[in-house]
Amino acid sequence: MLFSSTPFLYWFLPCVLVLYIVTPRRLKNATLLLSSLFFYGWGEPRYVIWMIFAIVMGYMFGLLIEHFQNNAHLAKLFLVLSVTSSLAMLGYFKYADFFIQNFNAVTGLSVPLLKVTLPIGISFYTFQILSYTVDVYRREVKAQKNIIDLAAYVALFPQLIAGPIVRYSDVADQLKKRTHSVEKTVLGMRRFVIGLGKKIMIANQLGELCSVFRNSSEQSVLFFWLYAVAYSLHVYFDFSGYSDMAIGLGKIFGFDFLENFNYPFISKSITEFWRRWHMSLGSWFRDYVYIPLGGNRVCVPRHLFNIFVVWMLTGLWHGAAWNFIVWGLYFAILLIVEKVWLLKHLKNSRILSHIYVVILAVVSFVIFDATSMGQAFSYIGAMFGVGENPLVSAEYFYYLRSYFVILVIAVIGATPIPKKIINGINQTSLGGTVMTIVEPLAISTLLIVCTAYLVDGSYNPFLYFRF
Amino acid sequence: MKQYKNIISIAVVALVFVSLTLTAWFLPKKDFSDSERRKLEQLPTMSLETITNGSFMTKFESFTQDQFPLRDTFRSLKAFTAYYALGQLDNNGIYIRDGYAAKIEYPLHEDSVTHAADRFAYVYNQYLKETGSKIYFTVAPDKGYFLAEESNYLHMDYENLFALMKERMDFAEYIDITGTLDITDYYKTDTHWRQEKILETAKKLAEAMGIEYSEHYTEHALENPFYGVYYGQASLPLPAETIYYLRSDTLDHCIVTNHENGTIGGIYNMDKATGKDPYEMFLSGPVSLITIENPSCKTAKELIMFRDSFGSSIAPLLAEGYEKITLVDIRYLRVDQLDKFIEFDGQDVLFLYSTHILNESGLLT
Repeated sequence: MLFSSTPFLYWFLPCVLVLYIVTPRRLKNATLLLSSLFFYGWGEPRYVIWMIFAIVMGYMFGLLIEHFQNNAHLAKLFLVLSVTSSLAMLGYFKYADFFIQNFNAVTGLSVPLLKVTLPIGISFYTFQILSYTVDVYRREVKAQKNIIDLAAYVALFPQLIAGPIVRYSDVADQLKKRTHSVEKTVLGMRRFVIGLGKKIMIANQLGELCSVFRNSSEQSVLFFWLYAVAYSLHVYFDFSGYSDMAIGLGKIFGFDFLENFNYPFISKSITEFWRRWHMSLGSWFRDYVYIPLGGNRVCVPRHLFNIFVVWMLTGLWHGAAWNFIVWGLYFAILLIVEKVWLLKHLKNSRILSHIYVVILAVVSFVIFDATSMGQAFSYIGAMFGVGENPLVSAEYFYYLRSYFVILVIAVIGATPIPKKIINGINQTSLGGTVMTIVEPLAISTLLIVCTAYLVDGSYNPFLYFRF
Repeated sequence: MKQYKNIISIAVVALVFVSLTLTAWFLPKKDFSDSERRKLEQLPTMSLETITNGSFMTKFESFTQDQFPLRDTFRSLKAFTAYYALGQLDNNGIYIRDGYAAKIEYPLHEDSVTHAADRFAYVYNQYLKETGSKIYFTVAPDKGYFLAEESNYLHMDYENLFALMKERMDFAEYIDITGTLDITDYYKTDTHWRQEKILETAKKLAEAMGIEYSEHYTEHALENPFYGVYYGQASLPLPAETIYYLRSDTLDHCIVTNHENGTIGGIYNMDKATGKDPYEMFLSGPVSLITIENPSCKTAKELIMFRDSFGSSIAPLLAEGYEKITLVDIRYLRVDQLDKFIEFDGQDVLFLYSTHILNESGLLT
């Protein structure tokens, strides 16, 4: 079920809110768990069983690791079993066919593909379970004795299918005791509706523009650029919008999830970009892969190796295809170049460094969206004039005009400018008074307009489902 | 102040949210959308099979969208936001220019045009080649032909379409009617031309086909308002229109036989005039095979018209010159079965199709 859908907004969510409010405090996690299983089962009924299986495994291994924490070998054994079983499940569902295809290509054999459907959100909940058992092993958290609480954490519907990747250590206390308040509910409500607006009013519209480009019969150099910019903004608003909705819903149910995006397109280096983009994933790989591999406290070749491994895995996490791996390695190379040489030069010019980041990020998302590496090279080449495409075309002008306002809103919305303006208004006494009325009306209007878009249209795919 | 703000926020947003939720749950469900001319999704049946195969969930989503309270108002709000607030040039592919709603017909699908021409060639080779029939074809331009270029909207390459048709239909004489038409000859909210405005077009066809043509018609207006197909699709504020239809002694005495259901009536089906799509009053709308017999015709000439819905309103204007006109819609009647229903023996033949159908000709059998 999508957050940005009428079944979720006007059927599922009201039921869950009422149930949650009337449920006694000690049963609230059970209510959230049952709601989350229903939410998950709505899209993939049969994969609920796999998720429950993964939860039970995580629960048992957590207890076993803690129980044998004084026996280093056994604790490590259970940790390895936990990590292996989680990754095996992820590997089977997500990567098996990719490896078989490549194995067949290399050996010339014809091992049949498994053709299993990817369970929604498996990458997110697998990483959450992994972080839980590793943290128990590291004694950073205590194993959860109550399986309902652990299951509620893993399956929690606000962040189940598209993150952010919430670490158990960040919400362990909130699972036991969390505060609900009018202020938190208002913050959550506002955040959710803003996320909904980002998803429906911007991401979906730019997604339509990208679809138009892909089906275009009149591609031109500037149309390739228009597509690349639109797709980059589409991914950002899609994903950050969903994160906003997740964080907002979390607040309504008393949780405080960490931020996942911090205006990545204002970065002045790719290093900074990745500190602002999908922060929960970046920090997960840093803490559970990069640092265990030795991080930067090793010799230079090993350090470079660590960076390549982390970014190859980051790419692979996004999808079982070569373009995602290349996308990850692309960033690995850029980060190494910055670390070794470029970073200090980027500080010389704010404008040039911004242009540098935007262009490289936009090019990266062309690789990200490509259906094959051949297409990625072809698109990037076309953007830089390779091929026989004309500079402009009638379609380019038409769609630039038609999406101009949305693109401008998206570009401004990808910066902190709107937030700064609203904060500035709120800080004046007159502005604060006006906003008391204006803000609820604006949020309500946005909800109504988003509803209008949902009622009117069926174009509503969510990009990060495939992860 | 902050506390007041929080309370006001919760109260206002909750009021909107709860109102929409309750009305979505408890408002009576509708069967049909007049503006979109389609049946609305009803609450799907729940069973183990429909749940496990996901069809229940898919249909439930459609149900919640279709049955949403004030659905048409919400659709208009979306259209208004996209078209006016966000400056998008079209809404669901429909744009408005000079008060006329038109659909973006783009790009030209050459394979589709070729397919259409090939189907017409099949008809010629199979049934007409040896009969000595005089064969004509004409193309009715859609509204984009008049609006798109000067307004910088995307449009198909019309000249290429005409050229392709002429090249592939060299067995027929092309009658160019584009010069007889302008945008005011079309309904503002619908795809079709207005019968009372296409007299010059009918005259051009009649002259080219060498038949008698009458200009003595009286205009009659339908009382009920007409909202064309683009009205619902665009969801933008457009005023209602009036359908006018032409009458004359000849037309009043014509006998129209609907061979789909065997009914006999007149040129105008007044039951359809008050139905979901009043344009269907012209020869009962989409019918695979229908004949117009003119008992007062002075000649024994007959016409077979292969046509789409544009033919429904113009065919009666050719009735003066023919004893019998047979209208065939090969979207609904297989071309390899035509000789079971029609005897081809030298009648005049006219292929009349709109640019829209030629560019989306997948339905032509």
